[in-house]
Amino acid sequence: MNMTTTKLQDALRSLPTDAKEPIVDLNFVVPCVFEALGFAQGEFYPQYVTGDGSVDYALRKNIDENDNFICTGTQPYLLMELKGRDINIAPDSTGYNSVVKQLKRYLLASNCHSAQWGIITNSIHIQLFRKHGKVVFPVTACLEINPDNVDEVIDSFREKIANPSKALTVAVYNNKGGVGKTTTTVNLASVLHRAGHKKVLVIDLDPNQQDLTNSLDLSLLDGKFYTFLSEKDANLQSCIAKYSINYKNRDVDFFDVIPADKEFAEGDETKFRQYLRIDSLRQKLECIKSDYDYILIDSPPNWRIFSQMAICAADVILIPTKHNNIFSLENAALAIKKFVPEIQRLRGDGGPVPLPVFFNGEKITPFQELEAQKAIDEILRKSKSENPNLRQYFYPKETKVSKNREIFSIPSYANIANAAFARIPAAYRDKTANSYYTELAKEYFLQ
Amino acid sequence: MKTLTDVGNLMCLHMDEIEPGEGTDTPEFLINATAKLLNQKEERNWVPVIVKEIGKNQYEVIGNTFVYAVAEAAGLERVWCIIAEPTDSAAEVAKVLAGEAIPQINLSAATRDEIAAALKYLVDQPGSPLKGIKLAVAINRIEEDPGRKYWKTLSPITKLKCGITAGKKLDALKQVFYLAPEPYPDVITEPAILETFTATELKAMAKKRELAVPKSAKKPDLVKLLSA
Repeated sequence: MNMTTTKLQDALRSLPTDAKEPIVDLNFVVPCVFEALGFAQGEFYPQYVTGDGSVDYALRKNIDENDNFICTGTQPYLLMELKGRDINIAPDSTGYNSVVKQLKRYLLASNCHSAQWGIITNSIHIQLFRKHGKVVFPVTACLEINPDNVDEVIDSFREKIANPSKALTVAVYNNKGGVGKTTTTVNLASVLHRAGHKKVLVIDLDPNQQDLTNSLDLSLLDGKFYTFLSEKDANLQSCIAKYSINYKNRDVDFFDVIPADKEFAEGDETKFRQYLRIDSLRQKLECIKSDYDYILIDSPPNWRIFSQMAICAADVILIPTKHNNIFSLENAALAIKKFVPEIQRLRGDGGPVPLPVFFNGEKITPFQELEAQKAIDEILRKSKSENPNLRQYFYPKETKVSKNREIFSIPSYANIANAAFARIPAAYRDKTANSYYTELAKEYFLQ
Repeated sequence: MKTLTDVGNLMCLHMDEIEPGEGTDTPEFLINATAKLLNQKEERNWVPVIVKEIGKNQYEVIGNTFVYAVAEAAGLERVWCIIAEPTDSAAEVAKVLAGEAIPQINLSAATRDEIAAALKYLVDQPGSPLKGIKLAVAINRIEEDPGRKYWKTLSPITKLKCGITAGKKLDALKQVFYLAPEPYPDVITEPAILETFTATELKAMAKKRELAVPKSAKKPDLVKLLSA
């Protein structure tokens, strides 16, 4: 048996069981964790001013011998928020929710635009978060560390931090149909490309409706995507269509699309379950995550294999609802408290996470807004005991002090709905539509 | 709650995702000839391999290893499998159900019929080392031995004078019997059980029961004393 112990193991073993934050800091984080994560002296900056409070540490590797992060403090790459062992940050504890909120605030603060990673730890639990644009999401579960696993855990963090995937994968999902998932997906892709200059891939994973593929006037695939998902070494490039618009007599490429596959519409679900796993799409997308900034998946309005694969492949889930459709709100709540956690258990890495819901494309009067709020309050009241965290997905701006119950909303606009006839996303054809979806992109994704 | 796992599902898995597990000692002829048959007549193994999930995209055969070996010999890229629970008991039962392991019975508590059936099965095996033993005698002596429920090993059987001697014969019994012995009672008075202890152990027992032990007492005397 190997009897040698590592620095991390020794440090953890010698920490008092009730070690306060400064003890954890001096005896565990500074002497061991930073080094194990691959950061040297001069590459970590204590009490870093984020622009919205001070985070315990900001870290960045020095680019060359003239660069010294501790002197310049510019372009932090990783933020770390520490707690003492006296503060419980086990998953779903009050301490956990509050430190995660704190970390998110710092990551999104003005001096931390460059930050891509966040870590929370109290030396009992540790969790790694990724920031992509404006989105902060977990990439590991909140893990319990002990001398037996600490080296492995920190090593896996180092590996992830050194190789951030370029793409954010977003599933657009609501179990209720007719809430504008497809419209949201294509218009979001348009503005991310146009306003954000991002490289975007859109996947039509709703084989029965094929609305997205049709709305862009693209041809359906005839089994290629199914082959890509079920076979080893199958080629994805042959599944990708370019969505381009003819502009001044030449085709300009806008974004890439994997159209709906006829095979999925024609075959039966039992057969697909025999050849595909719920995580097949997630695994297969790994190979193209460095080619795109965003991968948007349009998912079917049910909880069957394709929606499950879409949610499993996603980092975050965007949930359109209609303020005047109670079922769309109830289904959003159901997805957040039941379906998404099922996938989280399957994946075991803390993901995916839902983004706060938004109201999509209906005229809303102050009276209707109040009615919608009443309906949401009723949904929240019913599930309060089991899911106290559901509230943040409906009222993200509400805090203990602020009663701001604003829900982001895309206004009603005839040209958005009519755009499907023209086979061009409204955001490309129409300034107003473009501005609405640019707002959506900025609210959720673009920093 | 609805579950998203594949446990219970029939899936067509890639061969290279499946570990062979314990392997099979089926003769090569059977494997190769069956592989040829499969290739000639069917492209699908309608009798599935039983696997458990051991990691991401990783499975291990727990039953129907023969089918797996045939699929490999036939050069199949994918093989039909049933995904079983990844527990030891599922693996144990799968092996027995697939006919790859012999089910064992608890000899400590087995009924006469069970003992008789198990011994008959062993004697009927081709080349059985137990051929020639008097089955009826063996069944009787094993079943009736009052110490059976306390046996920690099968060796007391060799003292039953039923033709089962230590070595190959006794080893053969291990295929079908396991023991889950009861603890000895606080006070043992049954002479046959007392006989299985050494003189020193019997003396200690007598001392514990505060019986006067004559200095010259031998084992038979002690048994007599303790069973009185």
